Amino acid sequence: MSGVTKSSLVDVELVVNGEPRHARVEPRRMLAELLRDDLALTGTHLGCEHGVCGACTVLLDGEPVRSCLVLAVQARDQEVTTIEGLATDAGAGIDGMHAVQRGFLESISFQCGFCTPGFLMTTLAFLRERAANGSPAPPTDDEIRTALSANLCRCTGYQSIVDGVRRAAELMAESGVA
Amino acid sequence: MERLVGTRVTRVEDPRILSGRGRYVDDLQLPGMLHAAFLRSPFPHARILGVQAIAARSAPGVALVLTGAEMAERTLPFQLIGPETVHCPPQTTLATDKVRLVGDPVAIVVATSRAAAEDACELIEVDYEELPAVGTMEQALDETRAPIWDDLGSNVAGREHYVHGDPDAAFAGAARVVRERFAQSRQAHVPMEGRGGIADFDPASGRLTYHSAWQGIAMTRFTLASLLQMPVHLVTVINGDIGGSFGQKSFVRSEDVSIAVASRILGRPVKWIEDRTENLAVAGHAREESLDVEAAVDADGTIRAVRIKVVLDQGAYTMSVIPSTLFTNIMRVMFPSAYRIRDLEFDATIVFSNKATYTAYRGPWEAETWVRERLIDCIAHELDLDPVEVRRRNLLRDDEMPCPMVTGPTLSGITLRSALDKAERVADYAGFRAEQAAARAEGRYLGLGVATFIEAAPGPPDYGPAIGFAVPPERATARLEADGTLTVHTAQAPHGQSHETTLAQVAADALGVPMNTVRVVHGDSRTSPFSMMGTGGSRAATVATGAVLGATREIRSQVAAVAAHLFEANPDDIDIVDGVAQVRGTPAVAMPLAQVAMTAWMAPQFLPPGMSPGIEAVFDFSSGEGGWTQSVHSCFVEVDVETGFVKILRYVVVEDCGDVINPAVVEGQIRGGVTQGIAGVLYEHAAYDEDANFRASTFMDYLLPTATEAPVIEIHHVDQTVRTDEVNSRGVGEGGAIGAPAALTNAIEDALLPFGAVVTDQYLPPSKILELAGVIPTD
Repeated sequence: MSGVTKSSLVDVELVVNGEPRHARVEPRRMLAELLRDDLALTGTHLGCEHGVCGACTVLLDGEPVRSCLVLAVQARDQEVTTIEGLATDAGAGIDGMHAVQRGFLESISFQCGFCTPGFLMTTLAFLRERAANGSPAPPTDDEIRTALSANLCRCTGYQSIVDGVRRAAELMAESGVA
Repeated sequence: MERLVGTRVTRVEDPRILSGRGRYVDDLQLPGMLHAAFLRSPFPHARILGVQAIAARSAPGVALVLTGAEMAERTLPFQLIGPETVHCPPQTTLATDKVRLVGDPVAIVVATSRAAAEDACELIEVDYEELPAVGTMEQALDETRAPIWDDLGSNVAGREHYVHGDPDAAFAGAARVVRERFAQSRQAHVPMEGRGGIADFDPASGRLTYHSAWQGIAMTRFTLASLLQMPVHLVTVINGDIGGSFGQKSFVRSEDVSIAVASRILGRPVKWIEDRTENLAVAGHAREESLDVEAAVDADGTIRAVRIKVVLDQGAYTMSVIPSTLFTNIMRVMFPSAYRIRDLEFDATIVFSNKATYTAYRGPWEAETWVRERLIDCIAHELDLDPVEVRRRNLLRDDEMPCPMVTGPTLSGITLRSALDKAERVADYAGFRAEQAAARAEGRYLGLGVATFIEAAPGPPDYGPAIGFAVPPERATARLEADGTLTVHTAQAPHGQSHETTLAQVAADALGVPMNTVRVVHGDSRTSPFSMMGTGGSRAATVATGAVLGATREIRSQVAAVAAHLFEANPDDIDIVDGVAQVRGTPAVAMPLAQVAMTAWMAPQFLPPGMSPGIEAVFDFSSGEGGWTQSVHSCFVEVDVETGFVKILRYVVVEDCGDVINPAVVEGQIRGGVTQGIAGVLYEHAAYDEDANFRASTFMDYLLPTATEAPVIEIHHVDQTVRTDEVNSRGVGEGGAIGAPAALTNAIEDALLPFGAVVTDQYLPPSKILELAGVIPTD
């Protein structure tokens, strides 16, 4: 193993995208590594590994976290949602997409796609929080930009991503589903 | 059928990317795969006296350690064949005798995990003898300084000198000479995905499969084979999705070669994924140039002649595929732009320093636009003229086209004066001047900056000879599959440019089929057409489009031949509508493409005499006479002279890139480029100290703009293409980053004119703004 004896490995039980999962990992293993390397959920990307770029953002019990800064053991017995868990019906292609995915699709928000998982999860958390707070009005561009300021994109200049969040908010409002 | 070209078709790439099913190189896990890490130099410049790797070799999980000397026994060094004017030293795969920058790789460790490999790197002991480092351009030009390349004797890699026209005569008769020294700072490309690769050598067959994330498949394959001394036919290179590049991932580097060697020794796949610190420190930088400029001008602002002396800091090593003189040559060739500059003297000096390699970055010649557009504002201020008027006075009129630039390439279809008029109208320069005056009365400092430029995207046929770089034709291949669907192979290696979408739009329209029956395939040396360039140079909009269009038309004519034969009709009378071949005027005589294709592939006895089975095409495209994208950028700012913060109030791009294939893709390219250009002025600095220690190795130090800093960017397309060419789409990948530094720095200077500010540095953090405003003393 990776420079450690088997006995120093620790068990981590958690729920990922609604499914109970288990992994035996080094104590120093990060949640992002657990997701990508142990559970083969490679939709979560690592862009800086020091907590700035936000590409690795996932939801931990509904709250956005940087999975490059969270130890795998810290996610024990918690619920993790990743980009792979977004689609309402993964088998239905575009028709099965979540409103956030659909908003970004329709707005042609992204280019290289590497930062995308983080923006999706940040947006989901942002729009859910607004819904939970009963915010009736659609988010303003300023609100959207503030919400997105924890994530870096190098390709787009952000404008198309802001468009995508605005569209996602409309779609969520139309469907009544957060 | 509605045409797809010109519409905002949603992206083919997005269903996978938005569901986390993209396949970036780090997503690939191969059976038995090992992981590599590199031990890197902590010193800018030092002699390697010895490397002790015994402890690392026996560390837990370690499969292989190779020092620089051991690697050198197994690989050829990188050796750029450059022009005689510039010294291109060989670069060993890993450092052997000396380290020449912070981050220079000294050894590779391969282990069962990346963590184990990194742990073992810590156990390698290197005995260094520190040497004086070159951290600034002045040090590099100082002939008494110890050379980074011992055999060179100094740190000047080369010089080139060019004279176009008769600048001496023009200067002798000039009413005024305007002089300034300008400096650009180091900027990094910063793709969100760093570099990486997986080498998978199969000892049984002797074949190497390299899973890469490079901008060119053929170049990667050829270079790896050469340096590993392997036959090319045994090397396969495969790209997956690529998380951005901006020029950084355009050539094979030490790490690629090293993991290929490791895989060949171990007979197992070896993965290397760069971390952000490595990416910022060693993956490549650009833009570090100083430029002394003088212009001979008339009292009315007419520019008679320009002299430029540029010094380019290329770092310790040269790019292995491009001599740095190519960058200065493009600066020279492009400098006149569409202005009536007939006399130009240009002097370029390339220097070595103990820094990262100067690497082609989004508009690598951008300094020509920045310096020219800054110079024009300086001329206007010195002569008390309006900067827009000075531009208008010097820009060639639309009816003067076509005409040659003094540096060689032919200008045709340039309508920058009309574009400038349009920019003045839509951005309301006059209204802003009134607003600016009112604001100044209140102690608020607003500014307007304008910049114009043209971009060779891909440029006319005489552009390549002018810059000394042969631009090859672009190939595409296509096959109508037996079920009537179309597979198109492009030589592009997209990394965000949406070619799977835009080229499918082009092909679907050309064949007359729905877009979901077209698939664009790229990034596999087994099937991709050969191209040493891959994706780069804002060429794809023209050349990949032209190649795909040509190949698809050839498919269409074969379909027409088969259908006509089956229908006993004339091939010229065959239409293809929505995937059905039919006889024009007799729609009842029709056959789905599937049936035509099935016949061609599986029942060749029904084909016209002499026709080969199947429907396939190869097409080579060379671009036509035009090839220029043109643009006017207008930037409005407010400068806070207490904090030094610059707020961009409005940013307007007036752009002519010909036929737009997908407006969303074009706008995305422009906005992304503008944002990078703005960031190079306000936020980003790949800083070194005077001793060449790197100071920007995390995102806490190297600041990228977020959604709260990036402005809204308005785009107004003007299309004044003179339609002489078959393909009238032109590239926009680089222009945004070329125009933005000029427009923004001009705006900042305009805002600070009451303080007598003259902006000569491109990088303007708040402290520099406060210096310009006279709030704090000049550093």
